[in-house]
Amino acid sequence: MPKHVLSCTVNDEAVEVLVQPYVTLLDALREDLNLTGPKEGCGTGDCGACTVHLDGQPVASCLMLAMQVRGRQVRTIEGLGGAEALHPLQEAFVRLGVPQCGFCIPGVLMAAAAVLTENPKATQEEIRYGIAGNLCRCTGYTKMLAAITEVAGTLSAKGA
Amino acid sequence: MAVMKTTREIKGIGLPIPRPDGPEKVTGQVLYVADIKPKGMLHAKLLRSPHAHARIVKIDTTRAKALPGVRAVLIARDIPELKRKAATRAHAILAIDRVVFAGQPVAAVAADELAIAEEACDLIDVQYEVLAAAVDPLKAMLVGAPPVADAGTEADTSEALAHSGVAVAKTQTAPTKAVNISQHAKLARGDVAKAFAESDVIVEKTYRVPMVHQGYLEPHAVLAQWDGNGQLTLYSSTQGSFNTRSEVADVLHIEENRIKVIPVECGGGFGGKIRALCEPITAILARVTRRPVRYVMTRREELEAGMPAPQVIIKLKTGAKRDGTLMALDGETIIESGAYSGAVLTMSAVFVSSVYQFPNFEVRAYEVLTHKPSIAAYRAPTAPQTFFAIDSQMDLMARELGVDSVEFRLRHLMKEGDPMANGQPWQSNGARQVLQRLAEHPLWKNRAAWKAKSGQDGRGLCGTGLAVGGWIPGLQPTGATVRLNPDGSLQVLTGQVDIAGTNIALAQIAATAFGIDIDKIKITTGDTDTAPMTGLSAGSKTIYTVGTAVMQAAQDARRQTLEIAAKEMEAAIGDLEIEDGRVVVRGVPDKGVTLASIGKKGNLYMSKVPPVLGVAHPAFAVQAPAFAAQLA
Repeated sequence: MPKHVLSCTVNDEAVEVLVQPYVTLLDALREDLNLTGPKEGCGTGDCGACTVHLDGQPVASCLMLAMQVRGRQVRTIEGLGGAEALHPLQEAFVRLGVPQCGFCIPGVLMAAAAVLTENPKATQEEIRYGIAGNLCRCTGYTKMLAAITEVAGTLSAKGA
Repeated sequence: MAVMKTTREIKGIGLPIPRPDGPEKVTGQVLYVADIKPKGMLHAKLLRSPHAHARIVKIDTTRAKALPGVRAVLIARDIPELKRKAATRAHAILAIDRVVFAGQPVAAVAADELAIAEEACDLIDVQYEVLAAAVDPLKAMLVGAPPVADAGTEADTSEALAHSGVAVAKTQTAPTKAVNISQHAKLARGDVAKAFAESDVIVEKTYRVPMVHQGYLEPHAVLAQWDGNGQLTLYSSTQGSFNTRSEVADVLHIEENRIKVIPVECGGGFGGKIRALCEPITAILARVTRRPVRYVMTRREELEAGMPAPQVIIKLKTGAKRDGTLMALDGETIIESGAYSGAVLTMSAVFVSSVYQFPNFEVRAYEVLTHKPSIAAYRAPTAPQTFFAIDSQMDLMARELGVDSVEFRLRHLMKEGDPMANGQPWQSNGARQVLQRLAEHPLWKNRAAWKAKSGQDGRGLCGTGLAVGGWIPGLQPTGATVRLNPDGSLQVLTGQVDIAGTNIALAQIAATAFGIDIDKIKITTGDTDTAPMTGLSAGSKTIYTVGTAVMQAAQDARRQTLEIAAKEMEAAIGDLEIEDGRVVVRGVPDKGVTLASIGKKGNLYMSKVPPVLGVAHPAFAVQAPAFAAQLA
């Protein structure tokens, strides 16, 4: 099958890459653009480990074809912050010891970042809803919620 | 990122310290097997059986082999190592002429792209003759059930050996005609028939806990690569690189020294990544193609052909006197092992008759094969299922007797020194303490008021439950080294796979044992070529065993450091201590040498000071039983 030219913006950089028409956005990011931060936990949109931002909105990149993002803005976990300047969510995740095995974390962070971009003062209820599409097997979500809620600045004095 | 500073008294243990791998994990930089892609790498795909039990009549790979981009298509006859009567799933690399579970691999493909490998699988023609399948263990264990294993296959007890402290009960050979009973054991004490005859209350109940997948987020993944000298490197998502190395060596009939297992970051295991699964076929594809080959299971493959926890069926009959005296227990535990043997058979039988003080008991344990994926460990293999059964049974007994269920259980729980069903005494037993503690919880004390709220204010039924459970962690020899760096920091090396934050715990142990700040510890998980032998990250034993090795190695490094300093300072070792990165004479803080200077001298050309290298490689004999009570 002939490959197609995919032109889009990934993590604020213009990219142009040849992809097969049947390749998912997740595979294009991981295999063709070497951005292995987004993970494939299920390939069916159930686990959320592949979550990236498309024009600022969280999407399951395993459910999209790469060619669907032509001319659009993609952001992966690699573009959320960096080792030098962590995003406040990343900083809170490290400080509160959220990651255990770490496999779900890129997806959770992207989902959480999308929630807080839309509503910086999201309540815990709204945060729960926002990361409902992300499965974590190790932690039971408690620390994760605490970290996101803390960043949202809605943590009450007593603790939510 | 700021590292929390330790105090003079507390160097490591006792302080909440962020994990060192946090920044890597939140930025997506940490690499799992599926993220690694050496030059020239091929993608593997397995064609799996759609039938639970079938004879393979014919396989035609012609069309698959002709597809451009396909580098290898293998079936059973292409694999010389493959033998009938496979003892474990890893040995059953591909189905030979009979598939024994839906999802069993029958052919393997390596191709330039994953999509090509998938298409090649679609082009393989397999003709099956579907056979009757044994899917219910209670029926599968009967005479005349469809056979699962090849006749003459030996039971796999390697997992049981890892728990030898508990699973010592003698395993008897199975009744000869019930072909699917792969292991059978009996534990008994006293006169059960007489005790039941003397009982006033008898409760009979069957408990079933279904098969369940461990659910780790990262599916199994392997990357295999051979070099020109016939050395195999395996990047593996495993809970134990040394165990994986031995299993693969056994399956491929090559020596362990020819295999290097690199334990890549493991995206969750929970027991499901203890045993080798797709390492052998990936290694064979890499050998045939002379290219690196990566195989990543899909979630569907995980659910159909992973290594789940077994279904356990426990039939219990218990008797007591009207005054609550326990009289007898008669039990049967049936562990459904799937298509291959490997259950820790006696664990369930021992637990069922070792938690409460039944003076007379008989427990029969069966490992039964069915046409389903074979099982692996899952968080204390068979303990949760067994405690659920025996604790529920005690609850029902208390109800029958009209007594408080917690008091009834507290009265009869075994304690330290009591003989377990296998004759060994409990080395320690905290069941009583945890149950007592939770019985004082307000949720338990106020359970009647909560129950009264059933149906009110839109609520459904309200209730409170309290259960006790436990586990006797496994044991495994293990090793660690601790070096003193020229900068005065410590380098800790083990082969331990960090699946739960254990590396930071090991760093804390090293800091405390040596007497140095936690931020001066660098901890590394090495591969099987470089790290000292390290046991599995499993069995609730990682810190208990690897932690001991790290502690002893750090103590050894401390002793060597003090010896060097004593010579240099012309002081007695007993007068020295390590403080703020220096070795000083106690009470004379001005007199001292820095750890960095000792570390440097061990590295210098022409230096006569030996490098500090602490080594420990303990083996263990004493297990550490753990108990927990839960209230909901």
